[in-house]
Amino acid sequence: MSSAEVTWGIARRSIVLISRLPSAFFPSLMMPVFLTISFAGAFSGIVDLPGFPAEKAIDWFIPMTTIQGAAFAGITTGMGVARDFESGFYDRFLVSPASRASLLGGSLLAATLRGLAPLALLTVVALVAGANLHAGAMSIVVLGIACLGIGLCAGAWAVGLAVRFKSTQITPLMQSGMFLTVFLSTAQMPIELLTGWLHGVARLNPMTNVLQLARQGFLGDVTWDTTWPGLVALTGMIVFLVGFAYRGMQRVIP
Amino acid sequence: MSAAVAQYAALSRRSLLTMVRQPRAIIPPILFPLMFMALSSAAFDRTTQLPGFPESESFLQFLICATIVQGALFASIAAASDVAHDIEDGFFDRLIASPVARTSILAGRVMGSLVFGFVQAWFYLVVGSAFGLTVEGGFIGMIGVTLVAAMFAAGVASLASAFAIRTGSSEAVLGAFPLLFSLMFISGNFFPRTLMDGWFKTAATINPLTHMVEGMRAQVIGGLDLGEWLSAFSIALGFFVVGLVLATAALRGRLAAN
Repeated sequence: MSSAEVTWGIARRSIVLISRLPSAFFPSLMMPVFLTISFAGAFSGIVDLPGFPAEKAIDWFIPMTTIQGAAFAGITTGMGVARDFESGFYDRFLVSPASRASLLGGSLLAATLRGLAPLALLTVVALVAGANLHAGAMSIVVLGIACLGIGLCAGAWAVGLAVRFKSTQITPLMQSGMFLTVFLSTAQMPIELLTGWLHGVARLNPMTNVLQLARQGFLGDVTWDTTWPGLVALTGMIVFLVGFAYRGMQRVIP
Repeated sequence: MSAAVAQYAALSRRSLLTMVRQPRAIIPPILFPLMFMALSSAAFDRTTQLPGFPESESFLQFLICATIVQGALFASIAAASDVAHDIEDGFFDRLIASPVARTSILAGRVMGSLVFGFVQAWFYLVVGSAFGLTVEGGFIGMIGVTLVAAMFAAGVASLASAFAIRTGSSEAVLGAFPLLFSLMFISGNFFPRTLMDGWFKTAATINPLTHMVEGMRAQVIGGLDLGEWLSAFSIALGFFVVGLVLATAALRGRLAAN
């Protein structure tokens, strides 16, 4: 089997597992919907703050919850790898002639594709809830790019942890790592309205730029000036996290 | 009588020790609300300037009671899933086979959650104080808030235990978590109802947790208010009574089945 076939085989297995073990994937779909309802409903009054950039709270929050959903969906791939280690199934992959890079590539491809599921569902939620798509289809396209990138990052983070700890008990660290990365940014408020320590942290957090990329079509036009910082941030995160997963995969012993 | 008291005390102690000795199970329910409090206090501090926002020194002062209730909710569900574990691993059957009072099986868990909820509420108040939280009701206000939290924790533990006893599955207990989580978030706990609109505001107004947290919050942002406290405590007590009735019925059903 060629490396590409191995990669596709692993990715296909991970995608098929969604229908075979829906209880593991379902929360990553429902959680962002619930977060959208909660944030857009509870914090509907924040649009009255001077300097707040959105007309409706849902315009501000739905890109963030979609990104969070893509992150959760990517993490489920790592959870699957951890489950396979516990059952001994992954050891069989490791002793096979398949390269470690192709094994990792399969999981990361699955994580990236899984990020599309919350995007599809939350696009429907956005349309039903009357969110503003100022840039039309481009609003969804840039949100989709951000989702695919974050799904890949989350998958790399989760697989990197799974190959190091070989146990599903590491799941809370997978989830809280991504949760914190999203919330220690402009997830809840624009940078200009953040105060104290969170303002400083959000300025340094690359997720702030990714959220700017994801949100732009819901707040106004899609422009290159608000796109490229997000793409650079995503590229940096992908290089770092895929490197983290690759190092772990190279060192793992069956 | 003294034997019954000793059984209640022993099972309550066991319940508390089970929670404390499983840091992996108990740390996330404590830390998640704390983390959410830290993030939201920093993110939403400017919103206290919005017209219609209750007069508060900071968003932390507004949020602290919601954090306390959130912590009680999370920890009590974790405790109730231990009831299901007891059923799954056979400990429940051994208890039934022993001459222990039947009600102590349930009371032990509920009392454990009540004590844990009380201590946990104080922990959040102390951490909040370290970050500049002022409780206008002073020490008595803090006691009032922690008593409501303890009663609510016992109420949630009873409700979740009813579910645990009926299903005998810890996964099913954790599966019911989103329902209580929704009750927590679709409310006026994290932002004032005065600044909401539409169906969400209606849902938040119907939600009893909104009124419980508002009664607790009154002690923190306004000063001692017996009427508000009684309202909050009554709602927590209501959760407890309903939970206890359901849990007792579930226990009777399982005993009859055994």
